[in-house]
Amino acid sequence: MVRGAAGILLPLIVPAIIAMIIWGLPGDPATTICPQGTCGETARQALIERYSLTSPYAFLYSWLSRAIFLDFGISPVTIAGKEVWALVATSVPNTALVMLLALGPITVGTFGAALGWFPRQLDAVFQGIGVVPAVIFALFCVAFITIFDLGGIGAFGIPMFEYDNWEVSPMKLLAGGLVLGLADGALSGAVSGTRSVFDTEFKQRYIGIAILRGERPMVNAAPNVLPTLIGQFRSRVLHLLSGTVIIEVILGIEGLGDLLWRATLDNDYFVVLGAAWGFALISSFLLIFQAISGVVVELMIRRSPSVPT
Amino acid sequence: MKPRVHVIRWVGLSVGLVLLLSLALMAYFAPDTLGQADITRRVASPFDLPPFGADRMGRPLLYYALQGAAIVLWPSLIAGAIVAAFAIIAGLARCAGLAWFDTLLQIFSELMGALPRMVVVLVVALAMPRDYTSLLPVAIAWAFLAAPGAMDEAATAAGRLGGSRFVEALRAHGFSAPRIYLYHIITLNLRSVVIRQAAEVVMQVIFLEIALSYLVQVPPVQPALTHSEEFKSWADILYLGFQTATGGNWFGAGSLIHALVLGLVLVAMPAVMAHAFRLAARER
Repeated sequence: MVRGAAGILLPLIVPAIIAMIIWGLPGDPATTICPQGTCGETARQALIERYSLTSPYAFLYSWLSRAIFLDFGISPVTIAGKEVWALVATSVPNTALVMLLALGPITVGTFGAALGWFPRQLDAVFQGIGVVPAVIFALFCVAFITIFDLGGIGAFGIPMFEYDNWEVSPMKLLAGGLVLGLADGALSGAVSGTRSVFDTEFKQRYIGIAILRGERPMVNAAPNVLPTLIGQFRSRVLHLLSGTVIIEVILGIEGLGDLLWRATLDNDYFVVLGAAWGFALISSFLLIFQAISGVVVELMIRRSPSVPT
Repeated sequence: MKPRVHVIRWVGLSVGLVLLLSLALMAYFAPDTLGQADITRRVASPFDLPPFGADRMGRPLLYYALQGAAIVLWPSLIAGAIVAAFAIIAGLARCAGLAWFDTLLQIFSELMGALPRMVVVLVVALAMPRDYTSLLPVAIAWAFLAAPGAMDEAATAAGRLGGSRFVEALRAHGFSAPRIYLYHIITLNLRSVVIRQAAEVVMQVIFLEIALSYLVQVPPVQPALTHSEEFKSWADILYLGFQTATGGNWFGAGSLIHALVLGLVLVAMPAVMAHAFRLAARER
């Protein structure tokens, strides 16, 4: 219940914190959001009226009621005059691709540890790789791509992804996914986390009884460890999402993390609000998914036949 | 305790303390400025200008390393202390049998744990006035975000002890409350979790500083978020070396490959320190 409530509250909390920051900074909020050098007096007045910049509560309500319909406002600084929604929408595909690629090593690590594909001696290797910080790993990849000139079209015969308004080198995406999936203990965490959950569960008495009955321990333990594994998976996805900022900036991938970074440096509050809300929504969805799956697994366990007669 | 485990713990503790002391000494001797440029020493190798060589302006890389240590030392230690404090509170709450406090901690953990860390860090950086640049606010924010994991592990460790039943049993033996909580619970049973989590957060904050300082170097170059312009981070050393590495001039004249090696060694330092403390704090 607490988890579900946190999931519902999260998309409200993140913009609320940013609104508090805007009002906490010296000067009036309209000037903070759109500095005088960027916006004229007329534009600032229009901003005040459009987003009710009279109080943080009114602003939050106004911004959220528009954000629900994907109206995140207009970027005054990062790409002046461009809709924040358009910026976010352009960034999401790259981030989604990097995330999907990063989920590969983590999924393999989780299943490998659960099903015993990897010998335990390999754990030290995974931990060694995991110690490398993402920034160093990303720099190594950039150096590799630059030295061997793999960043452009046709690297290794893979065509460059080109769409209407964005393009990205497949090697950079691949490197981004690899770095995210391996660095900062992502893969080693997936392997050791899954192993420790199963090791603890296999020590339970019911597993011993299951073995005596000739049943497979994995089949008995899987439903019980599923909520914990889902929780671990959620925190790993969040970890990957956080990591996209570093990876995308260093590798030059124009994704959501890169957008958030540029907006932070530009003090572009509307873009930060839009991007941070996007991250909060993903996190909220994961939290609610974990809460629901926990309930479903609990119901399944209760309804399953206890002992065959 | 097995003799081998005993040796590993002592070696871990010694290595961890030596590295921590080295970091503290580096921070203590950090100069306020990098000094005057000296063209005669530009890109000097470690043999020409011991111990680490010089940058493109002839300024010693040693000063970069010392200033980098000064940037990260206190914020990372404070972040580690915050996480340790949260872990201890969560462990004690589980042992004290305070159900309402446990629920409060769970709400805090769920909310904090659900926030993408880098997003929060960037929001904190955004909120900082540009004329006040310090790693400390970012480090504190990171500590709060890392706290749920540490609290969860400490509460689980305390739960394995038996929670409030463990405290009741010790009380029945006539032990005083401070002895039970400070010695039996924190020192003997939570120590492993608390030290490991704190050491990891110290390492993460140092890595975070390097990452943030490196990111501002990526064109268009921006002012640093975590330190003043007079100071240089370890990321600056890495950046110098990385330019050489991508330029292809690894060992020729004007190469700064020694900066890359120094940067990597400095990055390895907190990782080794955290691992050493992790070994030192291993459970019996």
